[in-house]
Amino acid sequence: MLKQSSVSVAKSRLKSLVISDRVKCTPGDYDNICRELYYSLSKYMEITEEEFRVDICRTHILITFAGDET
Amino acid sequence: MGEVIVITSGKGGVGKTTTTANIGAGLSKLGKKVIVIDTDLGLRNLDVVMGLENQIVYNLVDVVEGTCRLKQALIRDKRYENLYLLPSAQTRDKTAISPGQMKKLTSELREEFDYILLDCPAGIEQGFQNAIAGADRAIVVTTPEVSAIRDADRIIGLLESHQIKNNALIINRIRMDMVKKGDMMSVDDVTEILSIPLIGAIPDDEQVVIGTNQGEPVISLDSTAGKIYLNICRRLMGEDVPFMELYNNKGFFARLSDVFRRN
Repeated sequence: MLKQSSVSVAKSRLKSLVISDRVKCTPGDYDNICRELYYSLSKYMEITEEEFRVDICRTHILITFAGDET
Repeated sequence: MGEVIVITSGKGGVGKTTTTANIGAGLSKLGKKVIVIDTDLGLRNLDVVMGLENQIVYNLVDVVEGTCRLKQALIRDKRYENLYLLPSAQTRDKTAISPGQMKKLTSELREEFDYILLDCPAGIEQGFQNAIAGADRAIVVTTPEVSAIRDADRIIGLLESHQIKNNALIINRIRMDMVKKGDMMSVDDVTEILSIPLIGAIPDDEQVVIGTNQGEPVISLDSTAGKIYLNICRRLMGEDVPFMELYNNKGFFARLSDVFRRN
């Protein structure tokens, strides 16, 4: 099996660090945020886990449903 | 009215001072009247990078405290027309000036200069607060390393919370040989995470070290980094300069390796 490149390791560590810094939480909290947002939304609309994405930016949290352009 | 730009990074040692010196020299070469200010109190360096360390009489703290007039503290760089340095104080610390005083100073300088460049100290404490107090925008310098990018993200957040927007990113010390092997983050990797506009990507160029050794801005040496710094200056002036030699969304690697081969 191919060894994971050091860049992909760096990027995943960095993404987790940056998210924790931005919302001042632990990477575990981030997973909980995603799970709970998904759960809340799924009560009102039909979504699948594959479509659903949460991006934590510096000034806002972006929830995306992939595949839906509107 | 001049524009006040702070050069900052969060992490130390990523090239803020070298960047300040070269952008200052570059803007002056392009016909602008420029002042570069070293705001790192107690750790004076910009004068050394610029090769002007033997000409210091007064410094930033003297000006702010009124010990001397502004004109007496300014050092004119004889190699460039209209490039001035206001050095930092080596024997004082960051508490010697306040954000309010920096704001006042920069607003006075706006009357006389086209660009006021502030070399910011590392960290996010008072030195940083002083440096950003009067700034219109920031240039955030980072290197393709996890720690430097993380700090840059933090800094961008802090700048935005101080209403300093319209910030631009410089990625410094890129080693294309390592990027190609998947052992260094590329320009795209870094901009994806930081999501502010890129204004320049600078390779790890020997000429920068040589220039710093001699106290000579690299823009006056025949070098890749020097050309890139000049392009950064043009972009700062609002020119739409394509990232053709070093950065392009498609074929970036190919183009960058071209540049290296030419040298």
